[in-house]
Amino acid sequence: MPLAASESLIHVSIKAETLFTIGPLHFTNSMVGALLASAILLVASWWFLRRAAMVPNRFQTAFELPIEWLAGIVAGSTSRWRSYVALVIGLFLMILIANWLGLLPGVGTIGLVRESEGGKELVPFVRPASADLNFTLGLAIITFVVFVWWGVRLHGPLGYLKELAGEPRYMAPLMFPIHLISELSRLVSLSMRLFGNVFAGEVLLATMLALTTAVLFVLPLAFFIPAIFLGLELLFGFVQALVFALLTMAYITLAIAERQGGHAHDESAAAAGPDGAPAPAHA
Amino acid sequence: MNSNLAAGLAMIGAIGPGIGLGIGFSKAMEALGRNPEASGTIFVPYILGLALTEAIGIYCFVVSLILIFTK
Repeated sequence: MPLAASESLIHVSIKAETLFTIGPLHFTNSMVGALLASAILLVASWWFLRRAAMVPNRFQTAFELPIEWLAGIVAGSTSRWRSYVALVIGLFLMILIANWLGLLPGVGTIGLVRESEGGKELVPFVRPASADLNFTLGLAIITFVVFVWWGVRLHGPLGYLKELAGEPRYMAPLMFPIHLISELSRLVSLSMRLFGNVFAGEVLLATMLALTTAVLFVLPLAFFIPAIFLGLELLFGFVQALVFALLTMAYITLAIAERQGGHAHDESAAAAGPDGAPAPAHA
Repeated sequence: MNSNLAAGLAMIGAIGPGIGLGIGFSKAMEALGRNPEASGTIFVPYILGLALTEAIGIYCFVVSLILIFTK
């Protein structure tokens, strides 16, 4: 059996805890995290747009540089990049803020103490939204709907099914289920990757904090060890947000480029192969 | 007890992605060493490849977490 929550310094719960209930809606602490991330994004963009100038000052440049860099990558994918660049950058910023929110002090440590069957249990007020499978699955469903919609829009519903059936027609009974599963597995892998990484980060930080608290009597400088892992999580949060956004871009690129008869790389600097493996890019 | 053992065994599956990530990274560095100007072109396929390889390890991790933390 796992450690009882009351005895362990490590607070780990694989599902988000319910803070309060409104009718049938369970308001969980990861919803607080998601709303907080949205609020930060909204306020930041409003504040930023209000004082944006044509000739940017140094502060504005610092904000625009990373976004322009990402937009540059998206612009290299297909000629229709303008219709999905906002989605890719929006996903990136949302996930980035949701990931980094979990690293702030107080998140995951300040909360209600609630009686449970195993003893007393801490229910934090805020949980980083991407450490909840509901949030990541929701984002993955958005991506899934968008790239299937692109496929259906460019091929027509019948053409999309033909695309799933594969090229030699007599292989269709075998290839159709395989392609169908590979489409659906993108949904699973997108959501599981983000959830697994962020949740693993949370567990890692909690474990390191508990370990260093345990040895603090012997090694007073051990306090600095969790800080190293915090820095690592800062990097992972960024990389995972980038990965989600770039995979969204790659899936949409594939859905668009398949129509051009396999010449997917004419104008794309970055496209993944049909099985998800990165294809060699021609400049 | 049994589920903790199973969680440990599930993480054996992380060996494969570990080797795969190492191969991917070494090849990327090799390419970068041969042709430093290509870093911009290599970057995106590299990140995507690492993400897709890493996903397999994450599956193992999620399976073992579910084995440990759900009763």
